[in-house]
Amino acid sequence: MRPFWALLKRELASVARERTILIAILIQLFIASFSSALLLGLLSMYDPESVAISGRVDMRVGLVGAQVEALTQILEARGIQITRFENLDAARAAYQQGDVETVIVAPDAAQAVTTLQLYLPHLEVRASAIQVVLQEPLKQYENALRVQNGTPARYMDLKGAPPTTFEFLYSIILPVLLFFPAFVAGNLVADSLAEEFEMNTLETLLTTPLTWGSIVGAKIAAAIILALLQCALWLALLSLNRTELFNLPWLLVMGGLLAAMFGTLAAFVAVTFKNREQAQFVYALALMGLVGASFLAGVSPLTTISRLAIGDVYTGAGNVLMFVGVLLVMLFILALTLRRRDAR
Amino acid sequence: MRQIWTIALREVLRVRRRFSGGVSPLFVLLLLGALGVLGFLLRDSVTLGYGLYRVGVMGDAAEIRDARFVVTPVDASNADALLAQRALDLVVDGAQVVTRDDQKSQYALGALKRYLSKQTILELAATQEMTRAFPLRVQVYDLDAPQQAPSEPFIPSLRTPPTPFGQVITAFLYIMPLTFISIFFTSSFMEEKIKRRLTLLLSAPLTPFQIIIGKMLPYLVFAVLMTMGIAWLTGAPLWLAVAIYMPTSLFIFAIYLMVPLFYRTFQDTTFISMFVTTMTAVYLVFPAMFADVSELAYMSPLTLAVKMYRGEPFGVQEYLFPSLPMILVFGVTVTIAARLLHEEFLMTYYGIGRKFADALYWIIDRRKPARSIFLMSFASIPAVYLMQLVILAVASNLPLRALLIAALVASAALEETVKTMGIAVLIERGETHSLRQIVWLAFLSALGFLAGEKLLTLVSVSVVSQAFLATALFSGGLLLVPLAAHFSFTAIIVLLYARFRRVPYWVALGVGVILHTLYNALILGGAL
Repeated sequence: MRPFWALLKRELASVARERTILIAILIQLFIASFSSALLLGLLSMYDPESVAISGRVDMRVGLVGAQVEALTQILEARGIQITRFENLDAARAAYQQGDVETVIVAPDAAQAVTTLQLYLPHLEVRASAIQVVLQEPLKQYENALRVQNGTPARYMDLKGAPPTTFEFLYSIILPVLLFFPAFVAGNLVADSLAEEFEMNTLETLLTTPLTWGSIVGAKIAAAIILALLQCALWLALLSLNRTELFNLPWLLVMGGLLAAMFGTLAAFVAVTFKNREQAQFVYALALMGLVGASFLAGVSPLTTISRLAIGDVYTGAGNVLMFVGVLLVMLFILALTLRRRDAR
Repeated sequence: MRQIWTIALREVLRVRRRFSGGVSPLFVLLLLGALGVLGFLLRDSVTLGYGLYRVGVMGDAAEIRDARFVVTPVDASNADALLAQRALDLVVDGAQVVTRDDQKSQYALGALKRYLSKQTILELAATQEMTRAFPLRVQVYDLDAPQQAPSEPFIPSLRTPPTPFGQVITAFLYIMPLTFISIFFTSSFMEEKIKRRLTLLLSAPLTPFQIIIGKMLPYLVFAVLMTMGIAWLTGAPLWLAVAIYMPTSLFIFAIYLMVPLFYRTFQDTTFISMFVTTMTAVYLVFPAMFADVSELAYMSPLTLAVKMYRGEPFGVQEYLFPSLPMILVFGVTVTIAARLLHEEFLMTYYGIGRKFADALYWIIDRRKPARSIFLMSFASIPAVYLMQLVILAVASNLPLRALLIAALVASAALEETVKTMGIAVLIERGETHSLRQIVWLAFLSALGFLAGEKLLTLVSVSVVSQAFLATALFSGGLLLVPLAAHFSFTAIIVLLYARFRRVPYWVALGVGVILHTLYNALILGGAL
C-alpha cells in the first residue's frame, strides 16, 4: 500500500507544481461562471416575463383610438408608460421628438375581430426589441377579447414565477459544474497515462515493486481528489450565491463518483490505445455516448444531480448507490484488463 | 510550394501511422454512427429542466406531455398531504391548480402555465372558428415611412418569439469537428517536439513557414471538406458556408498553433486546449444568440450563419466585421510562430510568464528594434480588437456601473500591456541604450498601435457605430489627441520601468493603466 500513496503524492505534486494547470482550472471556472451569467441575461431578454420581474422595462407607447381602456390597463401593468393621442399624426410628431418609441392605433368601434395597427421604428434592432416587450401584453389583450366574446379558454390566467432561470440553474448550471471537473479528471488520467507510455517511463515504474493496478489506481485517485476539490468549491460558491441546494453531501458524493467513473473510463481507454490522440478522442466520444445513453435509459447522473439539489422527495441514497454499483463494475473490468497486462 | 506539399504529405502519412494498430477507422465510424443515432433519439427528450417538477392530476385535468413534468394521478384524499410533504409540487384539479407558497411550487406553476396555455391555444385552433378563437390581429407599420404598405397581420398568441436558439445550435455544429481537428493538429506538433523530430525537420532545407503551412494544410483541407459536408447535410449553400466558416477555422488553427509552442507536457496541452475551446465557444455562441437584438451580434461569424439559415441577406461589411480580424490574427500568428520555431526557443523550460517574455525577445529583431516595436504594436491590433469586442459585449450586457468601470480598466490594461511589453523585454535584457531611445520606442509603439487601430476601425466599426462605449474603446475623434495620449501612457510605463530598476513591470503598468482609465473616462464623459 505504501508505494500507492507515494505515487498518489507524486501525481498530486506534479499537478500542483505545474502552476499553469491550476491557473487553467481557475480560468475555466471563471469562464463557466461568466458564461452562465451571460446566458441568464440572454434568457431574460428572450423571456419577457422575467424582464418585467426585474423591472427593467422602460418603454413609452403612444395610443390612438377610443376603445383602448383594456389595452391601456394591460400595458401599464407591465410598467409601460402610456400617452394618449387624438390621431396618428399627433403621435408621429411625438415620436419625431423622441417622446414615444412606438405607436399603437386601435379601432374606434368594437368588432368581431379587433385589428391593432402597430407602428414601429424603421431600425430593425429597435423594432424587434419593442416587439419582444409587447409580445406578452398583446397575448393578454387577445385573451381579454376572447373572454369578452364568450370563448372558454382554460388555464390562461394562471400566475406563477417565470421558470426559465430556475430550470437553467438546476438542470444545466449545477449538473455542468459537477460534470466539468469529472471530465477534466478523465482527461488528466488519460494524458498522464499516455505520457508515461509515449515517454517510455512506465517500464521504469514497473521495475519498482509497483503493479499496473497501483499505478493506474494512484492516477485515478489523484484525479478524483482534484475533482472533489473543484466540486466543493463550486457548491460553496453556489451556496454563497444563496442558491438553495438540498442534499449537499450527496451532491459532493455524486461529483466524486462522476470523476471516478470518468477516470476509470479514461484509464481503460488509455491503457487500450496507448497514444494521446486516440485516447483523448475515444474517451471524449465514449463519454458523450454514455451520457446520452444514460439519458435515454432514464438513469442519467445529471438528472439525479438536478433532483438531489432541488430536494426531490423520491431521490436520495438509493439513486447514488446505483452509480456506486456502476463504478464497481467499471473498476472490475479495468482490473481484469490490467491483471492480464501484469501477467504478460 | 514543392516543400509545402512534401511536408503536407508527410503529415498525412504520420497521422495514418499514428492511427494504424490502435483504433481501426471502422471502430471510429461505428462510434460516430452510434453517436449520430443517439443524438437523433435525444433530440426530443432533452429539454431545459428535464424531470424537474412533480405534478399530481385529478378530475378533468388537461393532459400533460412535457419532459419537465413527472405526472402522477392522485385523488382528493391524499393530494393535499402529498403537496404539503413536497412529494408533489402542484396539483391540477380540473381547471384549478393548487400550489404551495414556496419557490419550487411557484416555478412549477410558471412552467405549467406556459405549457398549458400553449396547449389551450392549439386546442382552440382545432375546435373553434378562427374569428372566435383568435379575436385579435396586429398589423405592423413603419413609423418612419408610414405610407409604406403594412406587413401581413399576425395573431399574437400564435407568434413564437424570434429566438435564434435552433439556428445557433446548427451553426455551432460546424465548430465541434473543427476543434477536434485542431486538437489533432496540436498533438502532431507536440509529438514532433517531444520526440525531437522537429530538430531534424529544421535542419532540412525548409523554412519554418513552410513547415507550419505544410503541416497545417491537410487539416485545413479536412476542415473545409467537413464544413461542406455539414452544409450539405443541413441544406445550406456550400460556398457561402465555406466563406463564413473559413475565417473561423483559420482563427482556431492559429490559437492551437500557439499551444504546442508554449507548453511542454501533455496535461498542459489538454488544459490549455480546453480553455481555448471554452473561450472560442463562448466568443462564437453568445453574440449569435443576440442576432435580432444587437448589432454587436455581428462580432461572431455564427451570426452570419444564423442569417444564412434564415435566408436573410447580409452585406460585405457585416461579413468583414467578424471575419477580417480573425484572418489577420491568423496571419500574425503564423508569422510569429515561424519566428519561434527553432531549437533554442522550443527546448527551454520556463514558467509561462518567463516563456512569454522569451518569445517576445525572439520575435523582436534586435538589429532593428525601432521597426520591430512599431510592427509589433501594429500587428497586435486584430487580437486586441477581438478582446476589446468581448469586453464591449460584456459591458453592454450587464448594465451596472461597477462593471462599466471594470470594462474600462480591462481595456486600458489590455492596450497598455500590448504597447509596452516589447519595450519592457528589451529594457530587461539590456538591449536599450538610453532613455531617449526608450522614449522614441514608446512613440513608435503608440504610433503603430494607433495606425493599426484606425485602419481596422475604418473597415468595420461602422457596423457597431451605435453600440454604447464604442467611441471610447475605439477612440474616435481627432487623431492627434489619441496619439499624444497613447504615447504618454506608454512612455510613462516604460520610463518608470527603465529608470527605477526596483519597480517591477506590473507596478509600472498599473500606474499607466490608471492614467489611461482616467483618460478613457474623460472621453466617455456623460456616460459614467
